Amino acid sequence: MPKVRIGFEVHVQLDTESKLFCRCPTDYEEAEPNENTCPICTGMPGAKPLPPNREALLTALEIAYMLGCKPVIGKQLYFQRKHYDYPDLPSGYQRTSTPIAVDGELDGVRIREIHVEEDPGRWDPSTGRVDYNRSGIPLIEIVTEPDMSSPEEARDFLRRLLQVLRYSGKVKGDGGIRVDANVSVEGGARVEIKNINSIKGVYRALKFEIQRQLNLLKHGKEVRRETRAYREDQGTTVPMRAKETAEDYRYIPDPDIPPFEITEDMWEEAVARAPEPPHKRAERLVEEYGISKEAAEALVTEREWADFFEEVAQKAPDDWEIEFIDQWVRKELKKILNKKELSFREAKIEPEDLIELMKLVREGKVTRQNALNALWEAVDSDKSPVEVIEEEGLLRVSDEEKLAEVVEEVIEENPQAVKDYKSGKEEAIHYLMGQVMRKTRGKADPDVTMKLLRERLGEPGED
Amino acid sequence: MLVEAVEKVSSGREDPKERVHRYLEEIEERDEDINAVTYVNDDAPEEVSDEGRLAGAAILVKANINVEGMPCDCASRTLKGYRAPYDATVVKRLRREGAAILGLANMDEFAAGSSGETSCHGPTDNPRCPGRIPGGSSSGSAAAVAAGFCDAALGTDTGGSIRNPASHCGVVGFKPTYGLVPRQGLIDLAMSFDQIGPIARTVRDAALVLEVIAGPSEEAEGTLRRTEVPRYSELLDPDEVRHLRVGLVEEFLEVSEPEIAEVAKEAAKALESAGAEVEVVSVGRKLVDLALPTYYIINYVEFFSATRRFDGRRYGRRIEHVCGREVLRRIVAGAAISRQEARGKYYERALRARSWIRSKLLEVLEEYDVLIGPTVPKPPHRLGEELTVREMYEYDVLTVIPNLAGCPAGTVPFDTIRVDGDEVPCGVQVIGRPWEDLTVLNAMAALEDAARFEP
Repeated sequence: MPKVRIGFEVHVQLDTESKLFCRCPTDYEEAEPNENTCPICTGMPGAKPLPPNREALLTALEIAYMLGCKPVIGKQLYFQRKHYDYPDLPSGYQRTSTPIAVDGELDGVRIREIHVEEDPGRWDPSTGRVDYNRSGIPLIEIVTEPDMSSPEEARDFLRRLLQVLRYSGKVKGDGGIRVDANVSVEGGARVEIKNINSIKGVYRALKFEIQRQLNLLKHGKEVRRETRAYREDQGTTVPMRAKETAEDYRYIPDPDIPPFEITEDMWEEAVARAPEPPHKRAERLVEEYGISKEAAEALVTEREWADFFEEVAQKAPDDWEIEFIDQWVRKELKKILNKKELSFREAKIEPEDLIELMKLVREGKVTRQNALNALWEAVDSDKSPVEVIEEEGLLRVSDEEKLAEVVEEVIEENPQAVKDYKSGKEEAIHYLMGQVMRKTRGKADPDVTMKLLRERLGEPGED
Repeated sequence: MLVEAVEKVSSGREDPKERVHRYLEEIEERDEDINAVTYVNDDAPEEVSDEGRLAGAAILVKANINVEGMPCDCASRTLKGYRAPYDATVVKRLRREGAAILGLANMDEFAAGSSGETSCHGPTDNPRCPGRIPGGSSSGSAAAVAAGFCDAALGTDTGGSIRNPASHCGVVGFKPTYGLVPRQGLIDLAMSFDQIGPIARTVRDAALVLEVIAGPSEEAEGTLRRTEVPRYSELLDPDEVRHLRVGLVEEFLEVSEPEIAEVAKEAAKALESAGAEVEVVSVGRKLVDLALPTYYIINYVEFFSATRRFDGRRYGRRIEHVCGREVLRRIVAGAAISRQEARGKYYERALRARSWIRSKLLEVLEEYDVLIGPTVPKPPHRLGEELTVREMYEYDVLTVIPNLAGCPAGTVPFDTIRVDGDEVPCGVQVIGRPWEDLTVLNAMAALEDAARFEP
């Protein structure tokens, strides 16, 4: 099989309060069409951009840091005008910066550069209407080297990239992405596939496109350098019209925006703000806490989950085994949240609350089942799990005198079971145990109860 | 004069409404022949205030600056019927200081002209020598001030569009340092040169309007410095020339017609008599020769970019379908020059030439506080006379130089010259260092005091 090379240009919206060159809000999904607009983001005659939104630049740098990029410091950077004629583009050009960071790496794929752009509006060809709410929202474009060699590898990379982006907490909405993929097969030219909107789409487009190129080569035909569009409905790629690909964007530095520089201070600020990227964090979790790679990979899929884990691990008493913490944070708590469809960000539970609960479990003061029940109640209420336990009186009863009374009652009420036991049916003692639990609503200490039952009933088959 | 009028209105000695009304009557009576005004704001008397630094002032605004609710067509059929949805920052500032916006001034289409003849509203006449062009592109602004239709007018200057018509019409025009006056609301010609500035009857009036419109806005858009703007009109002092080193630029004289060069030499003598240290200085012929091609290449490319929004989808008609020849020439040339394969050959070289011109000029300005010379190298032609493109562009050769360098520059009417029996006003240009606008204004005030020009 000939060698395949795949690279990406990935566009993602930054989740800033305001747009890149004006103060309009960015929550276009909720707004009425053209509600979040002003003369600047609709390109009205005479409107000039405000200085680039600093928050957007910082956010872009944060993501650059997470992707292992080096900032372009001490060099004059520009916003350039990229000219093209399209109904969604109010000024006839899109502003796009020169690279702000270069030479990164994620999962063995080199990141060539990252730059900042403004999003165009949205044009609905069926009605001819344009909504400029989106116009001017900051985007970053992440450009990779062609370092992937199969659709599967490409898909894994994009998943990881999306994870990093979501992890930053600074990309918009569900972390939707727009991808241009370039793909070449040894012996053929590079083909670009434009505007794919999902990871699944990228995978299907690449599968199709590689097969198409292989078929051409197999029949001795040439793979031409071209730009193709992905047809989502068919899962195929089709050539774009020559006019669309022969476009010359006539880049010029935007004369309305003075050149800017990324300073050491800005970079430091971005680095200080940036969360540790998930792939790095997973490595560290394994090393620092001695959990399995699988456990670490799972925890880092949700930033707040890994945060929660680390906080519990750090605040818990020193003699707790990491397996115990892993069990409760990664498994028990997560299971409950999954069932309730809550994320760690949404869940109303603090690491300290869970530690308190785990202490009771460890000390035998509450049964595991009751601890889980309390946790179930607590994660979406204002009460802590320990408060739930106290309120509902779920603390374990291990007071022998108290339990002896209950044991006495159960023996009196269940003569048949007692008889069965005494006649040699050892299992009957479990039935009696269950009755004690029922009467104490699960709070009875099973060890103490068993001891009392045996004392009271003697060895099975004594009669 | 404006400064005196503001004082009278502020102290209650003159009714602001009445004086604004008088201007409206002047326009009504006399503009039919001049065609300086494209839109009259009949509500202006109601909008004027008796408070503020421009109390009672009636200001005309060039038709490429947004004044909310008024047409904003850049004298082009492209924007026919388009009304400004917001006030430009400079307009907000004029209103805040008590001025009324009297209406809109005629201009060359999209400010791309030097004669005032390319407006879709028809050419403007020169009130000081009827039958000749008023110059451009702020043709209406300069003609209206000369005709006494307003206290002062806003013009815009990309390569001389304030100074050129001010010189031809015998009024004062000032192009501020690039980045001193916010451009928010100014429709683009070439963004890296465009600057809004005043046209007025006296230097002090121009200084007063400038101090109101200048300075960084709350939003800092389109201005380059966040420093406070001095009160130019109060600080203005013609006697300051005693401390100035003035360079009379040899090459500026060489490229000008002899009578015009003579006026500039007289102006230099006048400054010397006023106490300035005056020398003839060379900036090098190369700088003057490079100025026009450099300026026009950048102008074309930026204008091409700026006009992409006029695609016929939102505003009236697609620009290429309805514009005049000069506008179309610039768009077509801009598209050709900015093509990927041609960039290195023209645009990038022009950007390098601009840097060279800027550093060369600033080098000379290290030795001299201001440079002087003719504003326009040749007199205004007769309206309707056919000029080649080259002849038309030659009007700009001396005014584009400060724009290329971002320097402040102004023109003062100093004398008149005889052209084919007509007596034509002739201005002298003063160029200063960036951000030293007051020094330029001081030298202009000294020239004004010594001028032989009688309005």
